[in-house]
Amino acid sequence: MDDGTTHMSRHAAEHGAQATRSGEDGLAWFGRFGVDRQMLRTAFDKALSRGADWAELFFEHRVSHHLGLEDGAVNRAYTAVALGVGVRVVKGDQTGYAYTEELTREAVADAAGIAAVVADGPARDGPTAFTATPLPDRYPVKQPWSSVGVAEKMPVLTRINEGVFARDPRVVKVQVGFADSQGAILVVDSTGRMSFDRQPMTRMTVSCTAENGGRRESNFHNLAGREGFEFFTDARVEHLADEVVARTAFLFEATPAPAGTFPVVLGAGSSGILLHEAIGHGMEADFNRKGISVYSDKLGEMIAPREVTIVDDGTQPHTRGAINVDDEGVEAQRTVLVEEGRLRTYMHDRISAKHYGVEPTGNGRRQSFRHPPVPRMRNTYMLPGPHDPEEIIRSVKKGVYAQTFTNGQVMIGAGDFTFYIKTGYLIEDGKLTRPIKDTNIIGNGPQVLADTDMVGDDFAFDEGGWTCGKDGQSVPVSLGMPTVRVKSITVGGVNG
Amino acid sequence: MNTLMEAARAAAKLAEKYGADDSAIAVSRSRGVDIEWRDGKVERVQERTRRSLGASIYVDGRYSASSTNDLRPSALDAFIAEAVANTRLLEPDPHRGLPDPERYAGRAEVDLDLADPEWAKMDGAGRRALAERLEALARDGADDLPIVSVAASVGDNHGQSARIHSNGFEGEREGTSSGYSVAITVKDEDGRRPLGWAYSYRRHRADLDPPAQIAARARQKAAAQLGAGRVKTGRYRVVVENRAMPRLLGAFLAPLSGPALQQRRSLWEGKLGEQIASPVLTLHDDPHRPRGLSSALWDGDGFATHRRPIIEGGVLATYLIDQYYARKMAVEPTGGSTHGLDWAYGDRGLDALIADVDEGVLIDRFLGGNSNQTSGEFSFGCAGRMIRGGQLAEPVAEINLAGNLATLFTRLIEVGDDPDPNRSSRCPSAVFDGLQLGGA
Repeated sequence: MDDGTTHMSRHAAEHGAQATRSGEDGLAWFGRFGVDRQMLRTAFDKALSRGADWAELFFEHRVSHHLGLEDGAVNRAYTAVALGVGVRVVKGDQTGYAYTEELTREAVADAAGIAAVVADGPARDGPTAFTATPLPDRYPVKQPWSSVGVAEKMPVLTRINEGVFARDPRVVKVQVGFADSQGAILVVDSTGRMSFDRQPMTRMTVSCTAENGGRRESNFHNLAGREGFEFFTDARVEHLADEVVARTAFLFEATPAPAGTFPVVLGAGSSGILLHEAIGHGMEADFNRKGISVYSDKLGEMIAPREVTIVDDGTQPHTRGAINVDDEGVEAQRTVLVEEGRLRTYMHDRISAKHYGVEPTGNGRRQSFRHPPVPRMRNTYMLPGPHDPEEIIRSVKKGVYAQTFTNGQVMIGAGDFTFYIKTGYLIEDGKLTRPIKDTNIIGNGPQVLADTDMVGDDFAFDEGGWTCGKDGQSVPVSLGMPTVRVKSITVGGVNG
Repeated sequence: MNTLMEAARAAAKLAEKYGADDSAIAVSRSRGVDIEWRDGKVERVQERTRRSLGASIYVDGRYSASSTNDLRPSALDAFIAEAVANTRLLEPDPHRGLPDPERYAGRAEVDLDLADPEWAKMDGAGRRALAERLEALARDGADDLPIVSVAASVGDNHGQSARIHSNGFEGEREGTSSGYSVAITVKDEDGRRPLGWAYSYRRHRADLDPPAQIAARARQKAAAQLGAGRVKTGRYRVVVENRAMPRLLGAFLAPLSGPALQQRRSLWEGKLGEQIASPVLTLHDDPHRPRGLSSALWDGDGFATHRRPIIEGGVLATYLIDQYYARKMAVEPTGGSTHGLDWAYGDRGLDALIADVDEGVLIDRFLGGNSNQTSGEFSFGCAGRMIRGGQLAEPVAEINLAGNLATLFTRLIEVGDDPDPNRSSRCPSAVFDGLQLGGA
């Protein structure tokens, strides 16, 4: 059921999966599965048999691994292999979609025929020549996951486990999950354009439970990116152990925040979840094209103070939200959504770009070949402003400082959004005082954006991995934020 | 069905050939078709045909699980060979292994009736006509609603699977589901565009609610969000509508799992046989309900399923511990999942529950939030209506409901007679006393 919401979590299942080649290499690469020019021609003939405006084939192969440590032993491994092609046929703003997991000419042509039902006109000629598009490489890796075996990965998990136990005698349980995947995508469209990308992904998640007197607490942390095995340096492994222990121990000192409406200061980094929920989804063009976003009709208007500039950027190297090309063959870019407070553009896929008469912004993304692409965020962040973070905290008489988060959600139309604060502090008379935890915050996107009245000069990207859900599809995204102050948000704590 | 079981047996033979001591193989395929309709035309038509083979491998006291949809014989052979070889590289785990075959015995002799024989009779034109009609019904008599957009979706699914364990378990399943939904976006005076939605979802198409009823409910939910204000921060008597209840119940039951208990992340540790909820709360795992959305004759370990109490009169009757975590914890396994819930329902509907509330809040939807299953704190976003003098009053939004899971269900006063048939948890509406709401 589409209940008009999208959601986001820090601990969701891994998907996603190395260096970029040209489209021509892509056809050679997928040739091992039977893909050839004749298959493409046959499929496009079918896809365009009822006169569609646009059609594309999205071939994908992905191998994902998960290695788990529990109670001191690396004793579980999970592997998933996915292979298939999705065929999309577009007529105006109508979409026909079908996929097949069997890469034979007949099966691909059948899927194309099913997707073509959305159109109902005379047949069009398909492309006769296919041309590879050269792409940049935003995630080159030294040790691709296909070359790294279980035996090489195991010692990393063991070291983290030992490191966490060694740091704090109160730790009673540790789990480590090491996920990696390597994907290859080939997008071929009805103009004959081909884009090939190889996409690495990894995430190391550590959770721990500690006991302190009669109390017990657990927390987790993770490091993620489009990286190879070389990412897990000694320094990163030590940092991960430090963080998970510190984040768990913090909870013993903390209690839920009070309930009510307060000024909230959001710490630099993962506070980018505010942008993702409060405004990001509302600026995805599909919702606006349909008139069902709270930001429909706001293009060109001032929607935030002048200190606020927000971008959605697929070009930041090695971030989880980085892409060389989107999932409909448009090269990724850096898109300024809000410039000095003014709403400049929505995030577009091909369908919405055509509707609005603009160029697509490279935001057409999908979970896999089983899904049609829709406008999605990549790496969404606010640019730094003029204020010293200390000055921002000092400015608050009584409020909440939010430091780490686990998840968020938004209702696109009403604009109401939430995010869950795992750790933070109360601010009393301009100082951080009592530690707080497990407190949800709820606000209305346009109101909170308008109320974002101080922006810090201390920008950071979040180092953890985020997964965003929309339309039943999950995609990897990134976040970034300087310290900011929001005048007033509802804090879901407990009084007395 | 034979071909799925044959594929499973062939994969089991490969596992044996490459040296696995034991294996559990599951093969599945499914087909689904959806149409999404908006404002007078088709927005998207999708067809999904999936297949998958999953292999749990046990070799030399070691364990792994792998899945693939590349079922070409040469690819599958290499896949199983690699799965076995990689399993050998792991550290051993003395608690892993297939269940004692005794646990497979006693499978209930009931027809769950999970597959609608009429499933294939709905075609593209039929789905389109139904979607169009849903929109018309939604707009009918809604002249006073500032409608921006009406969307409808209609979908059908059919799935089959076969499972085989090398120590004697075999099982096959087939099931269908059908559903439709209506979502109405309205424009509020302040520029907000709230969405009211409703849906119906069943195993058999004939059991679906009438389209007019779903359209009317979506309309009512959209209208009831216009002009939403705020609640004053405080403690309230709260009525939670049945369709919103799974958010609270899910958070409450999650810490009963084997991994939560064994990893010391459960506030319910040591609470078996104790009162953890109001006497009003009685919940049974109800796996054999005909046409039940989660009904099953066996669970993920292959254990035969049985009706059993989870909470009886507020007392915790069982944990939900699967085969692996039971061995790790040296306890008897209790099954790691439920397959549909049956409540001790009340004898009054939602309107009657509301009529008893002098001042309070109806929560009809949750938005985000989370809970700490180790220490119990929760904090959820929500929205709904004020209740004054037993009547629904103005809409309210941007609310946070917060507290601790340890006491949440002790505040339960009454449950309704209205199980939500669209979810396997079949939650009724419920009344809680003294819940903390954060607002203006």
